[in-house]
Amino acid sequence: MDSHALDAIIARYDVPDGRLLGILSEVQEQEGYIPHDVLVMLSEKLGVRLSRLYSLVTFYSFFSLQPVGEHMITVCMGTACHVKGAEMVLSALGKHLGIETGMAQDGKFAVTTEDNKFTVTIARCFGACSMAPVLSVDGNLYGYATPENLPAILAEFGWREHES
Amino acid sequence: MIYGSAGKDHVPGKPVRVTINGRQYRAEEGETVLSVAIREGIPIPHLCHEESLDPYGACRLCFVEAGKHGKREMVTACTLRVAEGLEVTTDTPTVTKHRAILLELYLAEAPKSEVIKEMAARYGVMKTRFLKKMETDDPLGGKCVLCGLCVRACTEIMGAGAIGFINRGPYTEVNTPFLEPSADCYGCGACVKVCPTHAIVMEDSGSERVMKSWSGTRVPLAQCDCCGRYYAPKELAARTLSALDPQLERELAGLCPSCRGKQIAEREILARQGGAGNHA
Amino acid sequence: MRVEAEADLKALQATGLKKLKPDKPRIAVGLATCGAAVGGRKVYDRLREAIAREGAEIDLVQTGCIGYCREEPLVNITLPGKSLVILRKVTEADADAIVRAVLNGKVPEDKALCRVPAWDHVTGFVMEYGKGFDAIPLYQDVPFFAPQRKVILRNAGFIDPEDIGEYFAVGGYAAAWKALHGMEPEAIIAEVEKSGLRGRGGAGFPTGLKWRITRDAPGGAEKYLVCNADEGDPGAYMNRNEMESDPHMLIEGMIIGAFAMGLRHGLIYIRSEYPLAIERLGRAIGQAREYGILGENIMGTGLSFDIRIARGAGAFVCGESTALVASIEGRTGRPHPRPPRLTDPEGGLFGKPTDLNNVETWCNVPAIVANGSGWYAGIGAKGNTGTKVFSLVGKVDRVGLVEVSLGTPIRTIVFDAGNGGANGKKVKAVQTGGPSGGCIPLRLFDMPVDYESLNKAGSIMGSGGIVVMDEDTDMVDIARYFTGFATGESCGKCVPCREGLKHTLLLINRIQAGKASKKDLATLQEVCETIAATSLCGLGQTAPNPVLTTLAYFREEYEAKVRP
Repeated sequence: MDSHALDAIIARYDVPDGRLLGILSEVQEQEGYIPHDVLVMLSEKLGVRLSRLYSLVTFYSFFSLQPVGEHMITVCMGTACHVKGAEMVLSALGKHLGIETGMAQDGKFAVTTEDNKFTVTIARCFGACSMAPVLSVDGNLYGYATPENLPAILAEFGWREHES
Repeated sequence: MIYGSAGKDHVPGKPVRVTINGRQYRAEEGETVLSVAIREGIPIPHLCHEESLDPYGACRLCFVEAGKHGKREMVTACTLRVAEGLEVTTDTPTVTKHRAILLELYLAEAPKSEVIKEMAARYGVMKTRFLKKMETDDPLGGKCVLCGLCVRACTEIMGAGAIGFINRGPYTEVNTPFLEPSADCYGCGACVKVCPTHAIVMEDSGSERVMKSWSGTRVPLAQCDCCGRYYAPKELAARTLSALDPQLERELAGLCPSCRGKQIAEREILARQGGAGNHA
Repeated sequence: MRVEAEADLKALQATGLKKLKPDKPRIAVGLATCGAAVGGRKVYDRLREAIAREGAEIDLVQTGCIGYCREEPLVNITLPGKSLVILRKVTEADADAIVRAVLNGKVPEDKALCRVPAWDHVTGFVMEYGKGFDAIPLYQDVPFFAPQRKVILRNAGFIDPEDIGEYFAVGGYAAAWKALHGMEPEAIIAEVEKSGLRGRGGAGFPTGLKWRITRDAPGGAEKYLVCNADEGDPGAYMNRNEMESDPHMLIEGMIIGAFAMGLRHGLIYIRSEYPLAIERLGRAIGQAREYGILGENIMGTGLSFDIRIARGAGAFVCGESTALVASIEGRTGRPHPRPPRLTDPEGGLFGKPTDLNNVETWCNVPAIVANGSGWYAGIGAKGNTGTKVFSLVGKVDRVGLVEVSLGTPIRTIVFDAGNGGANGKKVKAVQTGGPSGGCIPLRLFDMPVDYESLNKAGSIMGSGGIVVMDEDTDMVDIARYFTGFATGESCGKCVPCREGLKHTLLLINRIQAGKASKKDLATLQEVCETIAATSLCGLGQTAPNPVLTTLAYFREEYEAKVRP
């Protein structure tokens, strides 16, 4: 993201309420993460201390400081999903993609496959509890997920069994 | 009043009487129970309180039972404002019970802190049942209790904003952004001064001050034009001097406090010598 | 066109009715988030293709969700003069048959869930659809719907949430008109007070009183009115559905509140996990401005009030009022001690007194103004008036959103509406109130669902999530799950919550691993009691509830896992 692109985002937020989080959310959405240099640039443009922006980015789970893969898989960890086996879905996903699905040092959860194809993360609840367990790929919800039907979902995004 | 510009002018509040542990004390409306207790020497444990900052309510150690007309509820003394007829008891069985658990949690969180150990021991807590935090590369040496005073001193008092909270929940820590040396730190050491557990490591080494706990941030020190000693962080020295007396002569500005003292004394002596001649 | 006279509103209603009840067939597909995800979107696309192929004179629209999630995708069919028919579990393959049946003046009866001859939209308008299809069960005879009373979900699943015209059709904005043109602000506040409406975010604070305090606080019109749409409890999604299915009812409630309190600035703080709700609210706000219902000189009154949307960024604690304010102001969501409260001078958003109410609280307001406080107070129980939407999920047979009068027994919700356990399993407990709530065992299911009874049982109302546990559910695992959730969502400011919850989680993990002793159970109880008693904000104070209630009601499950 260059300086002009950031200016364009900033220009959309002319009122104080929701401004900082709004700007950061748009950076996150456009880039898939919050790049180091963009955060520094934002600090200079807004005259807001870098420490404050860094606090925000590490506090809210919507933001990531690491680049993400081509496809974003988010597994819902809501209560309904939990009682219906979300953790099994998550660990099966880890096995299929060959990644560790444990909590990171910063308390956030986001793991990217080596080939940079997939990033797996978790959500506290999509509010789509009726079709638990739920996961989303690139923003599209998939209900009634099971370890068994995962390969079919992953295959839609170019994953092949032998890859892992 | 050198630092008067930074502090708020004190307007005395209405006098009120507050009862703490059965004894009456005079206080001013607007004061907190904790401030009164500290002034009167009544022991209430606390970690996140600093008189120059607004109540923060994070350490949860200053719980007391308080109320009026015999009613009692557990509240933190740092956020409780005094009021006429308020009755406070500092060490009820409920308060003691919860405080002991909190101290156990602190012993587990900051296992290397002598301050915490001593505080816990004062309240009869000698060990913790909880798993101690053991991190080998902790820049705060296993002593930080996340009271937030360093962050608030840096941001609210000094206006530097060099450090901040990172992450949240049990993953919370205090440090510089991206764990990189901070360009916003000018090495004032306010964080070190307010830290209740002496967790922050700051060292002067040659021409630099090193904030070891803050990602090794290095701040240049000002050198005395006279004796050559490094005496204070450059930017801080400049700020402080301009705050002190904008009229200060250039030659004085470049001196360390000790040489400055000598210089002033010499001038004074010279002036007096001159004056003595006149008297003679 | 701007709504400036009552006649304008009537004209818009008439126009809207032509859409809602056209003189040709109308097919409406339930396209809230879950309906769309379980195939509704594809059903809609196939229907559109089929209609185009046949060159049929059929209106195809989208609607929100009536709440019977298990039967989704749901499709409504309205034939002129006939009862509205709701089809269940519609698939892409059904599209052609539906269109053909409709063209022949029929509906595919094998797919029918129920028929609706007339529907009370509560705010003063009853829709008469017509007769026919007598073989299909009536709406009120469907067991899932039978115990329900729709006040909040009055329009959900019937109107197109993206079309303000259909909201006008069912009497929308008539309550706001009545309030702004026919009532004094004081009279509105008095009505809300007399209705007994309490905060639907969970704490149950009397709404009218909060409005009064805000109105009386200094600051004139430069105070804030905020809607808390940060529905954070996992397992609760009623607010999502309310915003996705009927966004204008929320806006109308806020307008009435703004007028009663004399405020100009409205904000909806909504979690970023709800993109469709954000989109539909944004659209609805735009439409309301177009019609002069928001913005300057609203409804020709000379008053100004507008609503903006502020998005959250993933933090459960931001449902707490002081953290919510911090988040809107661009700070981390670390709560500060109260007082000052949001309604206090300097206590709210940007230092201005602020009224904060939950989505569902706002949604009740137009119904109260339209029908009067006496009508509203007649629903539910004394001190717990009105209805509440619950999300009935987990291991229950009929999953969905259930709206019942407050004071309805848990048993009615779980067994009458929900039909008990899924797959014939025995129900063991329900968990209410999300991570701040507790587990209530089967033997207490005759308890009425109201604020006080739930508190007495060690749980809370919360936003209304009811997660059903069956005989296979490990209650220690449930405690572990919620503790893990709360630990990850703790802001980390105060020690009991930050450290206490972490050690609670560690202790439960030890229990689950078979490495704990009876002494550890005592420690678990002690630390949880201290977290509850000493935490700074509501998140910490209530986070131990899942552990404390499972320890109280299912102690044997813990004891079976520990050494003596």
